[in-house]
Amino acid sequence: MGSPIIELDGVAKTFESRAGATEALRSVSLAVDAGEFVSVIGPSGCGKSSLLRIVGDLVEPSAGAVRVKGKSARQARLDRDYGIVFQTPVLYDWRIVLENVQLPLELAGRPRVEWQQRPRALLRLVGLDEFAGHYPWQLSGGMQQRVSIARALALNPSILLMDEPFGALDEMTRERLNQELLQVCTETAATVLFVTHSIAEAVFLSTRIIVMSPRPGAVDRVVTVDLPRPRVDETRAQPRFFELVTTVRQSLREDPGLVGGHVRPGGSGS
Amino acid sequence: MSRVREYAPAALVLVMALLLWEAVVFAFAIEFYLLPAPHVIVQSLRETYPVLVEAGLYTFTEAVVGYALGCGGGILAAMAASRSPAFATVVLPYAVASASVPIIALAPLAIVWFGVEQGSKIAIVVLMTFFPTFVSALRGLSSVTPQSLELMRSYAATEQQIFLKIRLPHSLPMMFTALRACATLAMIGAVVSEFFGGPVKSLGVYIKSTASLFQTRQAWSAILVACALGLLFYFAVALIERLVMPWHFERSES
Repeated sequence: MGSPIIELDGVAKTFESRAGATEALRSVSLAVDAGEFVSVIGPSGCGKSSLLRIVGDLVEPSAGAVRVKGKSARQARLDRDYGIVFQTPVLYDWRIVLENVQLPLELAGRPRVEWQQRPRALLRLVGLDEFAGHYPWQLSGGMQQRVSIARALALNPSILLMDEPFGALDEMTRERLNQELLQVCTETAATVLFVTHSIAEAVFLSTRIIVMSPRPGAVDRVVTVDLPRPRVDETRAQPRFFELVTTVRQSLREDPGLVGGHVRPGGSGS
Repeated sequence: MSRVREYAPAALVLVMALLLWEAVVFAFAIEFYLLPAPHVIVQSLRETYPVLVEAGLYTFTEAVVGYALGCGGGILAAMAASRSPAFATVVLPYAVASASVPIIALAPLAIVWFGVEQGSKIAIVVLMTFFPTFVSALRGLSSVTPQSLELMRSYAATEQQIFLKIRLPHSLPMMFTALRACATLAMIGAVVSEFFGGPVKSLGVYIKSTASLFQTRQAWSAILVACALGLLFYFAVALIERLVMPWHFERSES
């Protein structure tokens, strides 16, 4: 197996504000191996988005260490080891779809001759090659999120960080994009850290699911998903799929913070 | 074809208004020095054409030069301010407040400082166009979403890249809203500051002196030239806007 590609050791995060300090994460330790698809699930405000941002060096941890490919998270970011997808697609209105996907290549200072080839291949991969010349606002929400995924893969990053990427989509589109995402990940061999609210989505996609406790967030339980690969539509009908969904649901319910369905509002969570 | 159909009603209203104007002047036998009929204004426009062209160009030059300096300065200042949020928070309230200051009231003083020729008018136009452009450009440059900045950070983008590839194109719609409004302001500023004094070969002085001599038809024809130049300026800026941001208009038309 070798050494893990992402290693978190005692990572904690406290946000300071005028209202006082908010403890978002308390001592999270975690190791993700190359090629894994790890989902992070938990109630709102459990700090799962903060966790993702700490791995991506978008937020500094208050304590603890992050190692990515044996480097600091900052070095990994500067080496452009990450591709990021947010809940909103964050596409640029003044760029056509193809130009949105090629943006990372421009930022990385790649020669102009390379700007088209890989973005076009990626658009084909997400089924949008016909829409390369469209503007983002001419596309549906699901299509926009596909463009966002293609962009995240533009520099062939070894790690894909996804923050509830399908949270704003309807159930049908979400399931189809789940399927597509797995194909894309197989072809690009990227390791994925995936934040989600959806238990079914986490079970369908992941090799492992990190269940987090409410604020301050900590790893509550790790569920290994032993469903066969490749995952297909029939996977969702297997008894084992339902068992795993139940396991994850129970882990979330057992949480004292969630008894009575009470979740503290606000915070940095999602 | 759809364009023609779109603007036809507005054009029809204009024609009807002019006919009504003619009819009212004729029906009530209004003296031409009070309100000349449209055909009289057109006739006067033909007769005084060379003088009006010279005066128009003189005033239009003030408006365009002042506009270029004021708006250009406003955009540059906004670019500088967007690099330092602390500076922006100090300056922005004053820049916004300046919208309610009647800058034209400074016109008599501008003549003391910059002379009775074009300099004083240009100074007024610069002041009138600088602040609105500064405020809009700064708002545009600093209204990029936090997620957009996170995305740029994840790609290890430099400040210069973020500026050129995200902030600047993002700010263009807001910037052009101000640039269009300032085109109108510039022409107003130039003509009105000439009312406070200037050479005879300027539109403002021409309007003022003909009006005070009850040469109403000459005054009206000069006002017509000022209107035409103002519209020309506005549409020139609007055309540049379309050329610079084709995506923006495709969207609003789809």
